[in-house]
Amino acid sequence: MFKKLIAESMTKSPWIYHVNTGSCNGCDIELVACLTPRYDVERYGFKLAGTPRHADIVVVSGPITSQSKDRLIRTLEQVPNPHCVVTIGSCPQSGNVFKGSYSVEAPLEKFCEVDVAIAGCTPKPEAIIEGLYKAAQILKKKREAMQ
Amino acid sequence: MIQFYEHFPVISVMGLFLAAFLVEIFGNKNKTIRYGISLIACLAAAAMTLYLIIPVFRDGKIISYWMGGWAPEGGYAFGIGYEIDGLGLFFGILTSITFLMSVIFSKRYMERDAHLGHYYTLFLMLAGSVLGLVFTGDVFNLFIMIEIMTFAAVALTAFRHGKHPEALEGAFKYLVLGSIGSSLTLLGVALLYLSTHTLNMAQISALLSSQGFKPTTLFAFAMMLSGLAVKSFVVPFHTPAADAYATAPASVSTLFSGMVNKAGIYGMIRLTYILFRVMDRESVMLLLALIGALTMFVGVTMALAQHDFKRLLAFHSISQIGYVLMSVGLGSVLGLYGGLFHALNHTLFKGLLFLTAGAVYYATGTTNLDKLGGLAKRMPATTACFLVGAFAISGIPPFNGFASKWLIYQAAYEKAVQSGNFVYVIITITALLVSVMTLASFIKVTSAAFLGQQPASLKEVKEVPFSMQLPMFIMSALCLICGLLYRPVLTYLVGPAVSAAMDPSAYIDTMMGSGYAITHGVLPSSMGFAMISAWDPRFWLLLFIIVTCAVTLVAVSDARTRGPVSLPQPGETDAKHATFFGGEKSTHSHVSGSDLFWGFKKDLKGYFHVIGDLHSGRTNDYALWVVLGVTVIMLFTFIFLS
Amino acid sequence: MPEFVSNLLNILLVALHVLVFPGLLFAAVGGLLLAGIDRKVLARMQRRVGPPIVQPFYDFFKLMGKETIIPAAARPGIYQAAPIIGMVSLSLMMLFFPIFGHSAAFATKADLIVILYLLTIPAVALIIGGSASGSPFAGVGISREMVVMLGYELPLVMVLLTVAKKVGGDTMTFALEDIAVWQLANGSLLFHWSMIPAAIAFLLIIPAEVGTQPFDVAEAETEICEGPLIEYSGAPLAIFKLNTAMKMFVMTALFQVLFLGGIDLGKYWLLGGAVLFVISAVLTVLCMTFIHAITARLKVEHLFKFYWTVVAGLALVSLVLVWFGL
Repeated sequence: MFKKLIAESMTKSPWIYHVNTGSCNGCDIELVACLTPRYDVERYGFKLAGTPRHADIVVVSGPITSQSKDRLIRTLEQVPNPHCVVTIGSCPQSGNVFKGSYSVEAPLEKFCEVDVAIAGCTPKPEAIIEGLYKAAQILKKKREAMQ
Repeated sequence: MIQFYEHFPVISVMGLFLAAFLVEIFGNKNKTIRYGISLIACLAAAAMTLYLIIPVFRDGKIISYWMGGWAPEGGYAFGIGYEIDGLGLFFGILTSITFLMSVIFSKRYMERDAHLGHYYTLFLMLAGSVLGLVFTGDVFNLFIMIEIMTFAAVALTAFRHGKHPEALEGAFKYLVLGSIGSSLTLLGVALLYLSTHTLNMAQISALLSSQGFKPTTLFAFAMMLSGLAVKSFVVPFHTPAADAYATAPASVSTLFSGMVNKAGIYGMIRLTYILFRVMDRESVMLLLALIGALTMFVGVTMALAQHDFKRLLAFHSISQIGYVLMSVGLGSVLGLYGGLFHALNHTLFKGLLFLTAGAVYYATGTTNLDKLGGLAKRMPATTACFLVGAFAISGIPPFNGFASKWLIYQAAYEKAVQSGNFVYVIITITALLVSVMTLASFIKVTSAAFLGQQPASLKEVKEVPFSMQLPMFIMSALCLICGLLYRPVLTYLVGPAVSAAMDPSAYIDTMMGSGYAITHGVLPSSMGFAMISAWDPRFWLLLFIIVTCAVTLVAVSDARTRGPVSLPQPGETDAKHATFFGGEKSTHSHVSGSDLFWGFKKDLKGYFHVIGDLHSGRTNDYALWVVLGVTVIMLFTFIFLS
Repeated sequence: MPEFVSNLLNILLVALHVLVFPGLLFAAVGGLLLAGIDRKVLARMQRRVGPPIVQPFYDFFKLMGKETIIPAAARPGIYQAAPIIGMVSLSLMMLFFPIFGHSAAFATKADLIVILYLLTIPAVALIIGGSASGSPFAGVGISREMVVMLGYELPLVMVLLTVAKKVGGDTMTFALEDIAVWQLANGSLLFHWSMIPAAIAFLLIIPAEVGTQPFDVAEAETEICEGPLIEYSGAPLAIFKLNTAMKMFVMTALFQVLFLGGIDLGKYWLLGGAVLFVISAVLTVLCMTFIHAITARLKVEHLFKFYWTVVAGLALVSLVLVWFGL
């Protein structure tokens, strides 16, 4: 019974830890917009966590600058399993307009497995919410796979 | 027919003194002889004192012993008499527990020091003098014992002056202020002799009862009270204590807080409850209660500002003595129960805490909280004992500190409501608040020294040897036992002491012949008291343990449903188990003791500045404090007692 | 044999009290529901839809299913034992509260002062646990937690002494049972006008005790990354979150015991008591939510000053009024 309950809860209370790896702040603002009364992702149980130890979903924005790469990887290591990695915007997916720069390490797939990639520059809050929702479903599958 | 145990008090005191000289003569070269003599003397003295529980506490006897057979002639006591009633024996037990634990701890703790012959000589002198002080029935003998105690304590404070020059400074302050205290006591004793023509405490009590107070006796009262207050380090006489406790070896600090300041408290109880019998005079007792409240507040706030482990403990010692004095100053039976029980508990948990401080010093070579950290990993036994002591002193149920503080709050608030005096309400609130501040400063020690991050310099620290752990374990066990079984402890240990203090007629009759007390009009005080409500720590702890086990069992048995536990690999630090630093590589960034409680200190910075400036560290200033304190006590005595 | 059976029944009854009602399960479920109501109402006040009321249950079970990472700097024993100790001491506290005149399961085993000290155990557990995790953020967090505790303890002590004097008169009492009996005879303490400042002070103490905005300086997730909880994950974190919810429940129950115990329900005490209990618990939490919704986090020194001046002042007004027999 508890196994099912826990697996079900995985989809209903994903806590988000947000890492900005040199983003222009556009995606970050849109992520914050999701928390505001108009979109209110808290109705799905989403919440911003203050430390990666509490997180279920790590949201990465920005083109992974060389300076932030080690710090990002270290942070991702510290998230307890099961967890998902979600990228917002085109930067962590492809590098966007920064592609080819000596100081940019995108895409994120080089360093870790990305579960959901939300495209756009910047993606709409609706898109972000859908992406996060999908990530929550993946979380449940990962939990079941852990058994 | 003299029973064999009637010789025990004298033998135990004399045995300790004799052993002190034997150590000095034979033990300076050979450490086995030296330690053997000390240990045997302490064991014997403690065993004999503890044996007296049977006649005194169980059978209700009072043991009297005239030195050289100089019994009273013609209604006047000329000889020196030892008299052990419940009160004396109660403090005798505290004393013997303390020096026994300390001598066991000393074996390894002091091994790196030189001149240990002198150490053990002074140690035994100190133990013997305090034991003599609580057993004697003669005021001049009491003064002699105070003198021996003070000088042995001063010399022991300065024992490590080679390694720690500040020890010399602490000893000097103690010497100056201690001498003032002794002189005041001597003056009081002389004036008492002048007005009653006797030095025997039982007779003085009876005569004062029949004669009433004269200006001379009042002056004597004020002088003796001040002198004993200096010895028990209450505010404003507390200043040498901080330096002395902090700089003396930890085993000696244990003695100081376990028995030396208790000796002062014992003297004050003897003086107010038995000699002068002023416990019903609310005005004078209120002075004691106010001094007590001031002592605990000043002590604990000064402790919050410290960043040396032992100095912090020293200020807590002062603060806890404030609890005892406040409770004794309530003048009620319940208050005396609370006060004496807290004295017992203070001996146990403060002794324990000083021993852990000693263990930390032994293992790391420092007691500076800003340099320590993360010791729990390397010293698990010491940490466990420290936590027991810290929880006990902060009054976390079910440890012993809570049981006695609980009694004290009841007594104080009951006194407030019965007397209708709002001052007692303030005293009660202070007592409750000081308890939280105590918790705060021990949280500081816990997080700065035992938990938190481990500095690289402490990676190789080793746990202390077993002979140092043993006394800590015993004290921890006693802390828990006194907390759980507080009712039997109150009935069988504290109860006889309280009845001895409230009703001295048996004490007087034993010494001066039966009927002496009645003819001099010594009437017993009422012994009635009722606990206002209930607290059953055994029940609580039992439930607590059962429920904790149940929850833990569920957690363990359900390990497959629950998420897995990921333990770090020993030796290497991978990113997953490293401390979170916002993505940075984890580095050493210790939150040291001085940095804690910033908001609190900022809001009360006016108070902290004033109190910090007042503790200037200058002996002249401190002597002035003593003079001020004596003046206040004298004014109070003459206004309210005449 | 019958004696053996009755003993067994007694033990079962105690076990029922401790584990189900009013102990562990009741406090846990009630606390989580209260936390859910708090979040929902807060969302509605901010014109949001808000999470479902059972959201704290989802959070709890999700955290139970997550991996527990024990940091290399932590002391594993203390780190894992601390949350359980806090939870057990909170659940045991419920056993000492009489509910609407009906005797508590173990009323004679503890009094007001004991409750005051038992309330510090969960806070100490959080502090020791945070400290054992070895993070400097946790170090800052426990320092703040302790300052908050120093702040609210002064008014709390004054409120308790006021109640003891008001109820006991010239004999004063700390027994919870006496407080319940007195209120049944003389009406709830909340409706004695001299006690109203004390009741307000107590309502202001609850948010600090529980650690919600604006008094959540200790776990400020935006400045010090959740303070003492920074390194916690998985089951221990779930239990700490549960502790917060249970603390909310215990504090609201204590508010009822102290200020709302005067409603006589006669023989319908169980049903009526349950309904009233829920209503007053929700009302108490709504007071808290209201403060939460309209304020931002205080600085730690402002918080301390607030409690030692405003809240302690309110409590002092009541204490003085009661002292003069009003």
